[in-house]
Amino acid sequence: MRRIVSSLVDGRGFDILLVGVTMLFLLVMAGLPLVYNVLMSFQQVDMFTLGAWVRPWAGWDNYRAVLSQPEFPLVMRNTAVFVFGSIAGQFVLGFAFALFFMLRFPFAATIRGLFLVSWVMPGLVVGAIWSWMLAGDYGVVNAILSGMGLVDRPLFWKSDPGLSIWAVTVANIWLGLAFNMLLLSVGLAAIPRDLYEAAELDGAGAAQRFATITLPMMRSTIGAVLALGLIYTLQQFDLFPAITEGGPANSSNVAQYWAWQWSFQVFDFAKGATVSVMMLAFVLVAAAAYVWSTRSEVRG
Amino acid sequence: MKLSTIRLWAGTAIAGMALSGAALAQEPVTLVIWSIDGAQGRPGPTDTFSREFDEMNDDIVVEYRALQFDEIVNETLRAYASGNAPDIVSFDNPDFALFSSRGAMLDITDMVAESDAIDPENYFEGPLNSVMWEGRMYGIPKYTDTIGVFYNKDLLEAAGVEPPRTWAEFEAAAEKLTDPAAGVYGATFSARGNEEGTFQFLPVIQMSGGDYSNVNTPGAQEALARMKRMIDNGWASQDVLTLGQYDSTGTFNSGNAAMAISGPWELDRMSEDAQFEWGVTLLPTFEEGGARSSALGGFNLGIMSTTEHPEEAFRALEYFAEQDDRLFPEFNYLPARNDIELPSSGNPAIDEALAVFQEQLQYAQPRGPHPDWQQISKAIYDAMQAALTGQAEPEAALAQAQATIDGVVN
Amino acid sequence: MTRLRFPWLFLSVALLLAAAYLFPLYWMYVTSLKGASEIFANPPTFWPRDPDPAIYPETWIRRTMPVFLWNSVVIAAGVTALTVLLGTGCAYVLARYRSGWIDVALFVILMLQVLPASVMITPLYVGFNQIGLLDTPRLAVILAAAAKAVPFYIVLVRATFMNVPRELEEAALVDGNSRWGAFFFIVLPLARNGILVLAILTFMTAFGEYIYSRSIITEPRYQPASVGLSGFLGPNSTQWNGIMAYSAIYVTPILVLFVILQRRIVSGLTAGALK
Repeated sequence: MRRIVSSLVDGRGFDILLVGVTMLFLLVMAGLPLVYNVLMSFQQVDMFTLGAWVRPWAGWDNYRAVLSQPEFPLVMRNTAVFVFGSIAGQFVLGFAFALFFMLRFPFAATIRGLFLVSWVMPGLVVGAIWSWMLAGDYGVVNAILSGMGLVDRPLFWKSDPGLSIWAVTVANIWLGLAFNMLLLSVGLAAIPRDLYEAAELDGAGAAQRFATITLPMMRSTIGAVLALGLIYTLQQFDLFPAITEGGPANSSNVAQYWAWQWSFQVFDFAKGATVSVMMLAFVLVAAAAYVWSTRSEVRG
Repeated sequence: MKLSTIRLWAGTAIAGMALSGAALAQEPVTLVIWSIDGAQGRPGPTDTFSREFDEMNDDIVVEYRALQFDEIVNETLRAYASGNAPDIVSFDNPDFALFSSRGAMLDITDMVAESDAIDPENYFEGPLNSVMWEGRMYGIPKYTDTIGVFYNKDLLEAAGVEPPRTWAEFEAAAEKLTDPAAGVYGATFSARGNEEGTFQFLPVIQMSGGDYSNVNTPGAQEALARMKRMIDNGWASQDVLTLGQYDSTGTFNSGNAAMAISGPWELDRMSEDAQFEWGVTLLPTFEEGGARSSALGGFNLGIMSTTEHPEEAFRALEYFAEQDDRLFPEFNYLPARNDIELPSSGNPAIDEALAVFQEQLQYAQPRGPHPDWQQISKAIYDAMQAALTGQAEPEAALAQAQATIDGVVN
Repeated sequence: MTRLRFPWLFLSVALLLAAAYLFPLYWMYVTSLKGASEIFANPPTFWPRDPDPAIYPETWIRRTMPVFLWNSVVIAAGVTALTVLLGTGCAYVLARYRSGWIDVALFVILMLQVLPASVMITPLYVGFNQIGLLDTPRLAVILAAAAKAVPFYIVLVRATFMNVPRELEEAALVDGNSRWGAFFFIVLPLARNGILVLAILTFMTAFGEYIYSRSIITEPRYQPASVGLSGFLGPNSTQWNGIMAYSAIYVTPILVLFVILQRRIVSGLTAGALK
């Protein structure tokens, strides 16, 4: 007993306690639902057995059924477009803005602060605003574009199957830009100034300094931003019901919204779980990338 | 962690106390009632009547919960699966069979037979069918509605166009009425990828000789080709693919569309917002004097089979049914009954429109009833959207829907 | 970095960018002030013809916004407290060592984020029902939402701890402090800024929590503002100016708070602990 107490106070036990409590909480609150969903994807489910763990076994039937849906390839393609489009847009713009606001001009820090407001906007509100702005006939985006002479007839952002996935992606880039910009600013600020000064004395140009100092020093930050970005993009749900509902004709449907439609629109809970389990593959990649990026961290 | 543990225990303790308290005293019976009325910030019939019923009866306490349209079915499923189901619940009529077919609703056939307040004879056939399953009655229709064609009299007159009687006339009128310079589309409707899309398209399938289990008719293909033509030519906005009926009719009210397919729930807003003369006509048919059909909307009320107080719950249903004559004057809902005369609203445009909708109701056909209605409905609106976006030819899109529906129905 | 030659040029570019970026917010305020028919006008008007601010008090009262907003505050505060309590120590340990076990722990924490809230809600609801947590619905939402917030918090706070020089902690241990002492009196104060900032961000994110609240909290008097907002989005009642007015009331306090605090937020994160 004494050994345990002293270990808790001063040894390994201290670390294990701090991590253990949190892990336990996460395993109960997030792990169990995960297991429930994985289990459900191999079972036959109906409204009477929603509350149960034991249900008739279905084997791979749900997976076969989901894979053979005619919209399956389209949904996968859209998921890829949405995820990579969102991350690329958020990251590139976020990085560019972070660099821009590192320059010393008046009010740089204050104006940078204004960019962060999208972080605190609830997804539901952002979805409602963008849905309203992107409307084909009375939407303000079209009014601006045609006012600038860029389009001569309205673009139907929400209803044109070629545009709809981009409508949601644009809204999501807007929503996620703040997150990327803030974290990348933090990373940039942590790079010691003297490195740049030394490089400048050696005659390195701006591009060279970026490639040889900024990027390598930012590796762990970039890893964290991209990994978290991927996970949060896959979680992004609120924008879909608000803007396109996955339509028209599934042209903006993505895995996370499709899973919801299966479960809560056509009440086929097993297939909804199946789709969500398939998303595991995406997150696996993100988590591995993040852990890999932490290997290059430098402790201060 | 400590704090949350204490709160967790406290929560459990309070819950325990509440339970034992209920067991000790002879509390009045509590009825839990769920519906979508009152969720939009203005009173509706079910919340109003529930409150009245609660006040009238000392032995009954009503706990009313307003839910969103999109949520009520899956909230009820979840509550039913975990033993928290309400006593009385209200569903959109095509969703009712999901519950009644699986024994989740209480069979009230015998109670109705002895009731003075509820008589199945008094209901329109379509709404009544939607609460029946295998010859037994599982609920009562709450109200009903349907769709017709609203038209802007000023614009039609200026263009010299008569209200359309056939779909071909509808298309020709839309072409003539379209005026891009003024921002006016010839027509608007809802081809949205959800139940609203099916609500507006299924009647067309039905008047072409099909029904929900037989959707790939030549008429349905023709109708899809026509709708696509109207969108491609700019006679209807491409946004009909995502607009709900309410927003779609909003563009009609603001003068940006000359005709709109919509229903009687719009009458109040239209008489306030529209700065022009308007009228309503029946849904067009394929040829003049051809078969008619229309959508049947409206909610049903039923008692869930898990209730511990079936008698009190049935008394509540009886009270609701007795208030049916107040539905229109107070809430602008059409009662689903043939024995109630609608009083004049005092606005001739509304009264004229109501007469048309009353006639249209005779042709309204229910969606289903089928336990897996949402899967059928999804197949129908998916096909419609695939055809209208050009992803598939109308015939191929409908064939795909038919294959899906065959898998569900058989 | 050298001084810029034309600082005012950069300032105007920055202002232009900010204006473009904040346009959706502007549009929210403008739409809220428009009348019913002007909203659907084509082309849209960039300034309301006849601004009607009466929509604000009307929305505030008719939608019982004080109740909704108070519940949002309660839920967000609970989520933040729980997240800081659970996440800080864990992040500290994960920053302190470098081993295979730490990799595994980080990996697991991220993997537990795989499911969107929309598919986690059914099992959580069933589980909460079994242990009676549905009787304290706001607590149930706090627990569920904290599980979403904790991993994010750990990853970012861990980065803050990475900036605390290890030597300081070791010096404290040599001086006879216990691990607890070193953690509470040396490391935590040094990482205070970062923790504070992430707590604020957690609070703001939790302020918008929607999916769990919608299903778990059945009584209107316990529902947060996000659920109240969804009350507008019915099938036959999209009152757009009301939605925008509600949204404006909902987000303006957080926006104001954010603009006031933003200098601290950015510097709290960028300055790290000691740099």
